[in-house]
Amino acid sequence: MNNAPDKATPLAGDASLVMSLGEAEPGPSTPANAAVPRNAVRWTHRRWFLALRSFAVFIGLWYLLYLWNGNPIQLPSPFRVAMAIWQLGLSGELFEHALISTTRLVIALLVATLLAVPLGFLMGRNRTADSIIDPVVELLRPISGIAWIPLGLFIFGVGDVLPVFIMVYVAFFPLLLNTVAGVRNVDQKLVNAASTMGIHGWPLTRQVIVPGALPTIMVGFRLAFAGAWAAVIAAELIGAPSGLGFAIEWYRQLLMSPKVFAFIVLIGIVGYLCDLALRALQHKLTPWAEGTGLS
Amino acid sequence: MTTTTIAVTPARLRWTGVWHATLLPILLVIVWQVWALTLPENSAAPSPVKVMHAFFELVANGGLISATVQSLGRVLVGFAFALVVGVSLGALMGSNPTVRHNLDPLIESFRPIAPMALLPMAILWFGTGTAPSLFIVAYAAFFPMLVNTVHAVSRVDRKLVMAGMTMGIPRAKILVRIILPAALPGVLLGARLAMGVAWTAIIAAELAVGAKSGAGQSGGIGQMMFVFYAYSIDLNNIVVCMIVVGLVALAIDKIFRFAEFRFMPWRHK
Repeated sequence: MNNAPDKATPLAGDASLVMSLGEAEPGPSTPANAAVPRNAVRWTHRRWFLALRSFAVFIGLWYLLYLWNGNPIQLPSPFRVAMAIWQLGLSGELFEHALISTTRLVIALLVATLLAVPLGFLMGRNRTADSIIDPVVELLRPISGIAWIPLGLFIFGVGDVLPVFIMVYVAFFPLLLNTVAGVRNVDQKLVNAASTMGIHGWPLTRQVIVPGALPTIMVGFRLAFAGAWAAVIAAELIGAPSGLGFAIEWYRQLLMSPKVFAFIVLIGIVGYLCDLALRALQHKLTPWAEGTGLS
Repeated sequence: MTTTTIAVTPARLRWTGVWHATLLPILLVIVWQVWALTLPENSAAPSPVKVMHAFFELVANGGLISATVQSLGRVLVGFAFALVVGVSLGALMGSNPTVRHNLDPLIESFRPIAPMALLPMAILWFGTGTAPSLFIVAYAAFFPMLVNTVHAVSRVDRKLVMAGMTMGIPRAKILVRIILPAALPGVLLGARLAMGVAWTAIIAAELAVGAKSGAGQSGGIGQMMFVFYAYSIDLNNIVVCMIVVGLVALAIDKIFRFAEFRFMPWRHK
């Protein structure tokens, strides 16, 4: 009981607690005047320090596990993996596969956007269209993109089309559903106000509905990316002659574990960078959505 | 406008709804069947009628059900791992900033690594049976579980915790009696997302284990699909498997939504 204040601290800084979702910048609660910037700098330094320390501990544990396991094919030492990353980076192979996978990703996201967003606008604005199309969407949505791989392999064969097809399929649903939700949740008062002022049709869509729905659509876009990125690795692993998913499986068969790990690390880095880029795009496109829980 | 319609002709509106809901699916199935009829008799292309036949056949010989049960069993075991580790670690991270700040860099670094990327290593570690699939499922389900638990626990109303502490309730009891119930909505949401991800992951893992380890001994519905693709090119059976995959996903989602409704009726009007 006498250490009650101690217990209070764990839950103290409520503002700093959403960090794990990566959404809010978790500065410690600072007195709101001149001290802020310096504290912020110190906080950034501290975060870097914490991250480096965590990684050092992680790599240390990995190394111990490596020594204990003693089978470099099952678990290569972290230094061998670092060397493999360096070598694959120098030879350009790392970037080659990453470029192939990201190109497929970009194409698939573009196609999915072109299909899902207009359809979502139609369904969001038109109840009849929604009630006709939505059942098909709800019938197809539970079938995960991965389950399409065998059929896709038969239709498209091993190649570029299969991963793109799987990604389009995976990205389509979050984009569509978020577009529908975004369009439908546009403040009806704004729409009515615009109509009162004689704004209809395309100007209404462009000036009122698009800005209102865009934050939700962007969230859908990020979900679409996350799903597509997970799916493309599976699709490439099974049915593509190139790309990151292919590379890890290829080097697994050659039992070159350091290179497998190098590509696994790369998959994480590319995924992280893409999400970072999407988040930046989100902030740029929809600055008005900051702090609404949709940013 | 709609309010008057509802007031005057509820029955008619309901029938319009049913009509709208069934129109496009039925139309698509008819188009699919007609398209299949135009193909030569021995074509491998699936058609609704053939898929129906394949479905009954696969159910009758028991293969489909046992494969589905096997996959579901794996999902449940992997999910249970993720649940235990994710919730306990999440509760710790959510209530203790020091732990969170130290672990966050690692969690955030592993999160963008697609589960399937670990499959090749999982095969090297655990062989080609059930174990690598379990590993992939647990890994995939862990992150939604953890992230949502951390979020939920860290958002628990501080006043409740302080009230508990004022009354001298021991720390462990505060965690069990105050923090966890208050965080339950987030934890259950995490569980639903995790289960969805886990079901996708098991299909992917079984497919890939099947594809990469040759023969089909590891079982499961993903494996079954791959066998139909690689050995007998029976597309009707593959479509049956896809439909079952979808039905199971739907059932899982409904069960978890029902659980959310049961445990937190105040969240749904």
